[in-house]
Amino acid sequence: MRVGILYSRIRQDEKLLLGELRERGHDVEKIDVRKHGFGLDGTDASLADCDLVVDRCLATSRSVHLSEVCETYGVPVVNSADTAAVCANKAKTSLALADSGVPTPETTVAFTPESALEAIEAFGYPCVLKPVVGSWGRLMAKVESESAAEAILEHKDTLGHYEHSVFYVQEHVEKPGRDVRVLAADGEPIAAMTRSGDHWLTNAAKGGDVDPLAVDDELAEIVADASDAVGGGLLGVDLMERGGGGGYTVHEVNHTVEFKALNEAVDVDVPAAVVDWLETSAAESTPEVTA
Amino acid sequence: MTDCTECGADVVLPDDLEVGEIVDCDTCGTELEVLETAPPSLDRAPELAEDWGE
Repeated sequence: MRVGILYSRIRQDEKLLLGELRERGHDVEKIDVRKHGFGLDGTDASLADCDLVVDRCLATSRSVHLSEVCETYGVPVVNSADTAAVCANKAKTSLALADSGVPTPETTVAFTPESALEAIEAFGYPCVLKPVVGSWGRLMAKVESESAAEAILEHKDTLGHYEHSVFYVQEHVEKPGRDVRVLAADGEPIAAMTRSGDHWLTNAAKGGDVDPLAVDDELAEIVADASDAVGGGLLGVDLMERGGGGGYTVHEVNHTVEFKALNEAVDVDVPAAVVDWLETSAAESTPEVTA
Repeated sequence: MTDCTECGADVVLPDDLEVGEIVDCDTCGTELEVLETAPPSLDRAPELAEDWGE
């Protein structure tokens, strides 16, 4: 098959993907999205003859727009524009998960420092303040006092991009020093790992230690539900385990998922499993190309 | 191997070099983007943007 890879930076994840695709003899078209324009009905980028386009844009804004562009051109793209739009925004993700009955941390969105402070006080301390758009654990705040809350809110309101005035306030979940990442393709787990550390943020990008995790029925079910809730596709579902037998809660779903850390942590050949799924997705697509 | 565009030191490149890949200069620490692979051509990589991630 002919596969287009939308990118602006080739990470180790993309190298793994490119290596697997080429090894299987697929025709790969790397498309540096910085070098092209995307019109309403066509582009100079080589999208039109692709059986499938894989959005691997590092920048969320590019990912969201270009998945929409591909669908408008009738080019099959993973992930879908709907999935990208939901996963790119934590508020949308929370709403989608809650709307589908998927356990997710209690969350309030507020639009002024005053109403955000009220939400924080309602949660009590500690609670968590996150940007609605962002990744790798950046700009997350564990708020432990009223004075800290006031300072963070003032800084966000004064210094931030307008999206930092969308205050996403969330309960602080007491997790057992780790969280869980499951890579799933249309809700079917490919592999899973735990990410552990002493810091309250345990992302692999923050230096958390990773270990393989066997996916049991409970975890598989919640991952499938979370995937359905955001529109499916190739996803990184992040979960925390509540103490006291409270089960899992899904705090994030990633739509341009990185998997190099997972690939190193587990015995599964992750890029091979991803390409297996891409081949299936391409075979099931019925493109109606206009670009 | 090619030269760092910032400090001029030799930069060791992997065998499976890809256009768009980022390599670090071990001497000055600059992140360098691979513009071409044959022959290798590097330039200073874009700064981290707020919406970058997964």
